[in-house]
Amino acid sequence: MEALVTIVTFGDIFQCEAEKKGRYSEDYKKFSAQIILDKQDMAGLGVKEGQNVLVKNHVGSIVVVAKASEDDPHPGLAIMVNSPWSNQLVRDDVCETSIPGFKRISAQVSPSVEDVTQISELFERMKAKGD
Amino acid sequence: MAVCTGCSLLCEDIELALMTGAISKVKNLCRKGHGHFQSFSSDRTSPKINSQEVSLDQAIKKAAKILVEAKHPLLYGWSNSTLEAQRIGIDLAKKLGATIDDTSSFCQGLLMELVLAGRLPTCTLDDVRNFADTSVFWGADPSNSHPRHLSRFAYYPRGSKRQKSYEEERTCIVVDVRKSATAKLCSNYFKVPPGGDADFIASVIAVIEGKIPKFGDKKRMIELGTVLRKTEYGVIFPGVGLVYSLQGKIELLETLVSKLNEVTVIKVVPMVGHYNMRGFNQLLLDDTGFINGVSFKDGQAKHGPENSVIAAAKSCDAALVIGSDPLSSLPFGTAKSLANAPLIAIDPRRSLTTDAARVVIPSAMYGLEAGGSAIRMDGVRVEFEPILEADLLSDEQILARIMEEI
Repeated sequence: MEALVTIVTFGDIFQCEAEKKGRYSEDYKKFSAQIILDKQDMAGLGVKEGQNVLVKNHVGSIVVVAKASEDDPHPGLAIMVNSPWSNQLVRDDVCETSIPGFKRISAQVSPSVEDVTQISELFERMKAKGD
Repeated sequence: MAVCTGCSLLCEDIELALMTGAISKVKNLCRKGHGHFQSFSSDRTSPKINSQEVSLDQAIKKAAKILVEAKHPLLYGWSNSTLEAQRIGIDLAKKLGATIDDTSSFCQGLLMELVLAGRLPTCTLDDVRNFADTSVFWGADPSNSHPRHLSRFAYYPRGSKRQKSYEEERTCIVVDVRKSATAKLCSNYFKVPPGGDADFIASVIAVIEGKIPKFGDKKRMIELGTVLRKTEYGVIFPGVGLVYSLQGKIELLETLVSKLNEVTVIKVVPMVGHYNMRGFNQLLLDDTGFINGVSFKDGQAKHGPENSVIAAAKSCDAALVIGSDPLSSLPFGTAKSLANAPLIAIDPRRSLTTDAARVVIPSAMYGLEAGGSAIRMDGVRVEFEPILEADLLSDEQILARIMEEI
């Protein structure tokens, strides 16, 4: 099962505070490596609160924790805290305003049995030579 | 009293008690500021070359060598440095024929350009506290990004002309794609779909002109238009959510503000994130006529998208990053380009960028271990002194040393 979503990113004060403890801290990963999904979308995917999901597009892929949205229904709209995890999915081929699509990321979400992507792995992907 | 450099509100009322060189008590810090102040004791950097510990002198000499040998150096960051450090940074870029850019090129730059050019009317946050009866947070969520904005300026304080404050005299409006923490506080929340802000603006303009809005809930749009028309002193606080949504249509906001100012008083204060982004924009503008993304390659200042960090990261053959972690905050492709370039990182704390850097130069934390001056989000200059003794150089001192070596 797979759902197509538009991911909107935002800044979160708790993640910001956790970042001050360190980019490699468990708290920073906890607040960053999660995606907030519409409850109906989660039901359609067969995913429950706290389960891992694979989020991927043509730029990259990550495994993060699914969290149920407490807002009014917003099917097809997912929310992530802006972080190195969400940035794995952001295109850098920008228009003349030089602004990447941080707040409108198209991606597919599906259930995953993989562990949450570690920040060390994100770092290794950046350091790897070649495309 | 100390100044918090955790965000561009630059709160100047921070009370601290120190005990044996450490902070034992704090007062008036928000959660974000508290994290910022506590961070001075964790994950601090040390001078390194190729991940090996070296002396500070060796790191500075190596950094200068990398920059001198580069044909297309990029100097990036700056929004978390003081005006004094930024001044030397711009001079360094000129000396090297480098490209210089800050975080504004992919966040608030489009809006700041209009504000600094006088195309959008603006005011100070003190004016907001004293006079504003309507605040519009548009694509902005100060409860997360600038936690004391509502309590110090926009909503809760009893200003000189707003003694009855939020109970009777102030209205807070939130326009956002999601019901943010700020939207939950304010009764006037307007939801827009991602990328729908241009249509939303068109509808507000239609209402102000007495026409039927074509976008959104007509009744609610008319209610919004009525609130705005009745406003005595309104302030729009645009966040990156609005900038990213409008992008090439940013002049629509200019049109809206102009229309509103035909019937009332409306100001605009961009919700700048980093504590001195506006300072860098102002300094570079005064020097070159451009607020960001400038190349001094041929001895003249040239501006264009090719000189933004997103593009320049791909074409540079060396990069100096100061007070920023682009490997965490920029798209994967851009981060990858920087991670594989000869990279120099000047930073007080460890980050993905310092881990990838060929040269790491530790720096003092501004507001805690080093003083200087900065421009608050509303254009007010703020001076601050160090409150802790530290055997670390400031960005300004490090850049001066690199200049000497070059």
